[in-house]
Amino acid sequence: MTHLHIKDLQAGYGKKLILNNINLEVRQGEMIALLGPSGCGKTTLLNALCGFIPLSHGEILSDKRVISQLPAEQRNITMVFQSYALWPHMTVEQNVAYGLKVKKVKRADIETRVAELLNVVKLAGLEAEKVTALSGGQRQRVALARALAIRPDVLVLDEPLSNLDAKVRLSVRHEIKALQKKLGFTSLIVTHDQEEALVMADRIAVLNKGQIEQIGTPEEIYHHPSTAFVADFMGADNHIVWPIQDPGFSLNINLPPDDLSIYFRSENVSISLQATINNELNQQQNEGLIINGTVEQSVFFGNSYRISVRSGKHIIQAEHYKHLPGKTPVTLHILPEALHIYAADVKSSVLEKN
Amino acid sequence: MRQMQSHNLWLVAPAALMVGIFFLYPLCFSLYSAVTLDGGGFTLTHLYKAFDLYSKDMLFTIFIVFVSVSILASLSVTIAALITLSPFRSLVGLLAFLYRLPLFIPFIVTAQMMRTFLAKNGLMNNAFIESGLLTPMETISFLGWGGIIITFVWKQMAFSTLLISGAMAALDDSQIQAARNLGASRFRVLVQIILPQITASIGIAMVLSTVTIMSVLSVPLMIGTGTPTMMTADMAFRVNSYGDYHVANALGLVSYCICGGLAYFYLRQNLKDKGAIS
Repeated sequence: MTHLHIKDLQAGYGKKLILNNINLEVRQGEMIALLGPSGCGKTTLLNALCGFIPLSHGEILSDKRVISQLPAEQRNITMVFQSYALWPHMTVEQNVAYGLKVKKVKRADIETRVAELLNVVKLAGLEAEKVTALSGGQRQRVALARALAIRPDVLVLDEPLSNLDAKVRLSVRHEIKALQKKLGFTSLIVTHDQEEALVMADRIAVLNKGQIEQIGTPEEIYHHPSTAFVADFMGADNHIVWPIQDPGFSLNINLPPDDLSIYFRSENVSISLQATINNELNQQQNEGLIINGTVEQSVFFGNSYRISVRSGKHIIQAEHYKHLPGKTPVTLHILPEALHIYAADVKSSVLEKN
Repeated sequence: MRQMQSHNLWLVAPAALMVGIFFLYPLCFSLYSAVTLDGGGFTLTHLYKAFDLYSKDMLFTIFIVFVSVSILASLSVTIAALITLSPFRSLVGLLAFLYRLPLFIPFIVTAQMMRTFLAKNGLMNNAFIESGLLTPMETISFLGWGGIIITFVWKQMAFSTLLISGAMAALDDSQIQAARNLGASRFRVLVQIILPQITASIGIAMVLSTVTIMSVLSVPLMIGTGTPTMMTADMAFRVNSYGDYHVANALGLVSYCICGGLAYFYLRQNLKDKGAIS
């Protein structure tokens, strides 16, 4: 069931239009990640949703009720801010209870709800602490409890993990996801971290220049990017324009004779030393993209080595389980299903061979 | 190391000398003069005389300062809140421009302007008569304590609003947005989120305004109607009419004690903000 419906939304700051023709349906209890590079309009969309900036066009419906004309305080959409936006003159308990006091909930009910939420976010016992005395992770959880206290129709999270260090970020990421499953709230989360979006979201909307490029499940977005931008943003770090007049490259797929943009991930590139290549390629019936080149650089990446291979004017990135010395002749093979192929001039018409 | 310290001393010496000659020496001399006889020797006679002759004026000064600062605080907070929270951004831009204007007008010009505006046959009453709201017989003069307060508030409002709206602007916008999307009205946001975080700035704006109001001579002379008047007018009178520097300095000492108490608050808050004291 659609819980939140954004129709033909246009919004911006002053005369500058940031968001253009945004259409998005969020189902009850679903978590959608808004993913995109800095400046693509993710936070602006949250601001428009919360009523902090007016819409130029379009409307927002919550449970089929138009809320786009309502002021921020009447929308029942709460935000967890990037900076947490906790009030430093209040204690943890006062921060969490604020929304309930504003809504004139009975004192006993406020106490019960605050205790329950602080328990859920693992902050029980810190009720009387000033928020300035808490760590980044604890502040983040106070902000989450505060936003959830009034049982909002929709919870929006604006890069909630970006101020945390890497280790805390991993644990809080799972805590938020577990909490969302447990309490079943509908939410939108803004992030520019693709891994965060893949792990946390039920669906991902990829934004580019104020428009949604693609919306789908994490698997769809990752394996079947519908545009060159999505492929690039989702980590397809190798890009070539076909045809290439270079004897090192051969592409064994039936394709139209147009100019093509081909993207693929370094993790999908298999490396063979040229002495063993013929047997391996025969087994795979030579399908896909084959590139002959020499190793230029090999960098240790923890669980693998990142190998830069030069072929003519092109540098291709690949991952390999062991170090390869410079100038080693190698053959790279990318299977057809790992290639994301687009018409070079349009970059959005899909020619995927998946 | 020692040579470096002496270099540092030479660096600050010119500024320290200026402060010494033009501020500390006259201040010390004034305080000394307030508690000594012509031929030397400690006395409290001048202070007794100052209290005996001008205690009513001291109370009047405190009354003017208290009322002016109270009105100033409420108006400045209101204007700063409008600038920070109003959704009508073009009106806010106009307001933000207009409120700054009195900053660039000297006290004596303000006093002269208010004299022609507030008098019985002044601009304000003429406007009321022209618009039919009052007849010439019904007009009253605002010259006196009311006019002094209006003038001080008008002149100081720009300064205090500047400080207070600066403090409001320094707050993270998301703190205000967080309260609003939890259901708080703009007024509630002002009272419960903004004001508790800027009380120190409001206090400082009011302390600095108090010190300014207590040291202005032109306003009580030009807007006041004789007695009671403010202490600055009394000091000018003692010097100009009697050449009595001792009583004038004794009145100065009383003013200084009032301002000094408030300055203590200002300095303490400054140190607290910088983390020197908790």
